[in-house]
Amino acid sequence: MTPLQHYLALATILFFIGAWGMMARRNIIMVIMCIELMLNAVNISLVAFSNYMPSPVPGRGEVFVFFVFGLSAAEAAVGLGIAIALYRLRERLSVDELDGMKG
Amino acid sequence: MEFSPIPFYIVSALVIICAIAMIYFKELIYSALSMVACFMAIAGIYILLNAELVAGAQVLIYVAAISILVIFAIMLTRHRKGDFWLFFHRQSVVTLPFVVVAGIVLTVVLATAAYDSSEEALNPPDEEMARLLFQDYSFPFEVLSLVLLVAIMGAILLAMRERRR
Repeated sequence: MTPLQHYLALATILFFIGAWGMMARRNIIMVIMCIELMLNAVNISLVAFSNYMPSPVPGRGEVFVFFVFGLSAAEAAVGLGIAIALYRLRERLSVDELDGMKG
Repeated sequence: MEFSPIPFYIVSALVIICAIAMIYFKELIYSALSMVACFMAIAGIYILLNAELVAGAQVLIYVAAISILVIFAIMLTRHRKGDFWLFFHRQSVVTLPFVVVAGIVLTVVLATAAYDSSEEALNPPDEEMARLLFQDYSFPFEVLSLVLLVAIMGAILLAMRERRR
């Protein structure tokens, strides 16, 4: 059986690929896609721990993954809605040019 | 029962290649398609982890619903063509070493730590998962459906074009 550490290494690498993409890309839709990738990496580690670590209630980690699914779907819907509304308002989606709040 | 580790390496190589391809494609629609491939490969990882219900939900939610949402958002907006710096931030080069160092450190720490993990797979069969999800955790599940409803209504309200003023 593949050891738990291999799954954790995969999840960590995937998380940091997503983190770098989120910081490096300019398009807002791309940033949202990278956030989804990071959430997926966390889900992999949750399912892996649920499969390998003994617990009084087996499968609790998997149940948690379902809640992460729901919340990430909500986040994607609201984020892409904001992206489309911003595009209507400003005709552009680059995070460099959306500096109206001077943050 | 003895499992071969070869399928894990094939599927995880697919996941990582698709994730890197997703970031490096200039055309946003290619990025979206390789994101779909990456999510599909992650469903394969869940099957290797004996979580068939999670794999099915992954295919339904990520490969179907969220990808369709992303592809529609890409199709409804216009994107520019140009050189590298139109797609990547100026700080992408600066953040790359930090991300690589942090990733290597965390990977080494997590992969060399000793876990008292069990030898056999512990994820329960689908019937047990359904019992957990719809009996023990039924109230959070219903709250989650409410959250999704409110989020969808908010997204429609945000993206709605105001016709009459």
